[in-house]
Amino acid sequence: MTPLRVLKAFAWLRWRMFVNSLERTGSRDTLERFSLAIERLGPILAAILLVPSALMLFGLGIYAGYLLPGDDSNVPFTTVRFILLAVPLLAVAGPLFFPAADRTNPTRLLLLPIRRSTLYAAQAAGAFGDPWNLLLVPLLAGIATGLAVAGAVTAAFVCLAAAALLVAVVIGLSALATSVFHLVVRDRKRGELIGLIFILVIPVVAMLPALMDGSSRRERDQRRQPLLPAWAVTAGRRAFVAYPTELFVQGTRAATAGDQGRAAAAGGGLVLFTLLLHGSGLVVFRRLLDSPGTTGGRRSAPMRAAWGARLPGLSSGASAVALAQLRLALRTPRGRSILLSPFAVFVIFGVMMYRGSGEMNFGPFSFGNGLSLAAFMSFICLISLLPIAMNQFAVDKAGLTLVLLSPLRDGELLAGKAAGNALVVAPPALACIGASLLVFGGGSPSLWLSLVLGLVSVYLLVAPVAAICSAIFPRAVDMNSIGRGSNAHGLSGFIGLLTFAAAGAPPMLLTLAATRLLERPSLAALLLAVWCLVAYGVSRLLFVVAGRTLAARRENLAMVA
Amino acid sequence: MDLAVETRALTRNFGSFRAVDRIDLAVPAGSFYGFLGPNGAGKSTTIKCLTGLLKPTGGTMRILGIDPLADPVAVKRRIGVMPEDLALFERLSAEETLTFVAQVHGLDRATTSARSADLLELMDLKGAGTTLVTDFSHGMRKKLSLAAALLPAPRLLFLDEPFEGIDAVASRQIKDLLLSFVSRGGTIFLTSHILEIVERLSTHIGVIAGGRLVAQGPIAELSAGRAAGATLEELFLGLVGGDAPASASLDWI
Repeated sequence: MTPLRVLKAFAWLRWRMFVNSLERTGSRDTLERFSLAIERLGPILAAILLVPSALMLFGLGIYAGYLLPGDDSNVPFTTVRFILLAVPLLAVAGPLFFPAADRTNPTRLLLLPIRRSTLYAAQAAGAFGDPWNLLLVPLLAGIATGLAVAGAVTAAFVCLAAAALLVAVVIGLSALATSVFHLVVRDRKRGELIGLIFILVIPVVAMLPALMDGSSRRERDQRRQPLLPAWAVTAGRRAFVAYPTELFVQGTRAATAGDQGRAAAAGGGLVLFTLLLHGSGLVVFRRLLDSPGTTGGRRSAPMRAAWGARLPGLSSGASAVALAQLRLALRTPRGRSILLSPFAVFVIFGVMMYRGSGEMNFGPFSFGNGLSLAAFMSFICLISLLPIAMNQFAVDKAGLTLVLLSPLRDGELLAGKAAGNALVVAPPALACIGASLLVFGGGSPSLWLSLVLGLVSVYLLVAPVAAICSAIFPRAVDMNSIGRGSNAHGLSGFIGLLTFAAAGAPPMLLTLAATRLLERPSLAALLLAVWCLVAYGVSRLLFVVAGRTLAARRENLAMVA
Repeated sequence: MDLAVETRALTRNFGSFRAVDRIDLAVPAGSFYGFLGPNGAGKSTTIKCLTGLLKPTGGTMRILGIDPLADPVAVKRRIGVMPEDLALFERLSAEETLTFVAQVHGLDRATTSARSADLLELMDLKGAGTTLVTDFSHGMRKKLSLAAALLPAPRLLFLDEPFEGIDAVASRQIKDLLLSFVSRGGTIFLTSHILEIVERLSTHIGVIAGGRLVAQGPIAELSAGRAAGATLEELFLGLVGGDAPASASLDWI
């Protein structure tokens, strides 16, 4: 089989997989059709928007290229430069955040009568399936076209060559990242560990600049100290010059200015990158094909007595469901992130607050004492529960069939799930509240008690709504995934957010009424206790609705499992 | 005759497709009932209807004398199921899976411990008691799923392809176990593509093809009209119309 036919076959395979994912719904009723349609709305919209996006980027490229001979720092070209900066980062992050199932399983490729180098080329070409890689082409082609229109024909050809090299670099980067990712997760235990690290590290890293900026604003005003040492800034600037998209920018600018030496140097840099990335990509891909998958041999802790316990107020069956839900959280990367990410956020905010002598301003949030930090952390803990709470049945996968085959009444199943989710969210929330109280203090005991009562009231109202949404919009997920593969159904997640906000409003208003309007903070706990009773009553009514919904959707849930 | 499973005109549609078409099952209590049919004939859909995972579009059912649509929990307390997808939590260990099943059936700790130990020993899973299911091979999962179905000591077992992917030693142990279960008065409703096993174990068979029940009864009675020495395979192929020679010769192979 010729390499061209192989590439054609792989292109067809990917196209069919995409089309089939949109066409074959397998839905059983109108509600499920609606649920699946909402799920597919994102990819369909992305596909539809691809054409106008490509045209817009092509137009932007032409405009930027056209202005380049007269002004090499024109606004459109600077815009293009910033857009390009993101592409290599997306090429690396793509394989991490898109479910692995969407990509061809490399081991299966070994069964095909195709040479490994051709397989690598087919795998690398698959990177064009990622929109950021695909949209790179019209943007770069537009710049070369613009230069040609402006009369800089030689520069246009140099730009075109540099563009081809940049595309090759990005494709190489994407292929290498995909192979490395598959190689890492080949050992499931190692894969889960890496996944957890990414879940915890990425949000923290993303928040650091803003936090550092916010916390040092007063100091910067006073002392004007740089955030990084001078050597780090110099090294960063030097490294940035060799960034692939910057090499393309330098090469195009130099060619437009007639400096062929600099243009050749930038082109040489891109050639070097291309060879390096595809060379190492091929080596890693070969290694991937040759390495067998391993499980990491995990064993559960011998805690049968604890796991077989009957929780107070729950039946034996409901307790079993609750403990199974807790174990799901403890033993999957996404579940662990729900338990651990609030601690990571707390540590960052806590350190910043400590540095600010008990005060911190971060965007719209202003923390004056431990109480406000504890309130914010409670909100974070509840929000982080969304992926598991708003899809509480389907997260069990085949285990849900076991649950549905068990002699459990709908009420027991709902109570077990609600208790299980409470067991997942309570430890981080209470730990963060306790740590805020111990380290920073502030506020009256009544307000601290109000916070706990407010948290309870929010959960009481959210739990039945989460059960209803989970029954109506189940989504088959993989809790080992660190991207959207483990998220709840989009609509379910959105309703969950709205419910959290709506359920959080009354406790906040009651606390404000007690402290600001009545100026009696001690009254807050009493008001919140009364509100908790009201929330409990509303929750009981909502659980009746949840029970009916679950009874009506049992069959659909069984099919999702 | 006391029936463990009885259906009247049991029907299940998926949109315009009729997967199970007005079948009248009669599974005698204490029998080993082999439910046979080609791929896509409606075997798993029937089991799902009988075990409460799917609601029938029409017809009536009685499981151990109870209407599962009226009182599903009462039926589920008395049956054990090893479904097609094996129904196991990936993130529980073998011991924890059995503890979960025992808890939802309300068994006390001592009973749970004793039965779990016996079943894990029998299924040769004792050394893997604390290993998570996600790290189990297909055969180990099958054995654990069967152990979970047996743990509450049900009166009726539904087994969907229990011998597929099981090694010869385990297969022998499971066969002995199932025969012992029936000899003590239990009823087994089993689907399998391995006709030799069904022939050796079953007292009764039902054959479904295209969603319709084409034959049902004691094996001896069904074989009566066939030539002497006819196997279950020949009987089955005759009933489902699969005894015709392949039309395409594939002489290019």
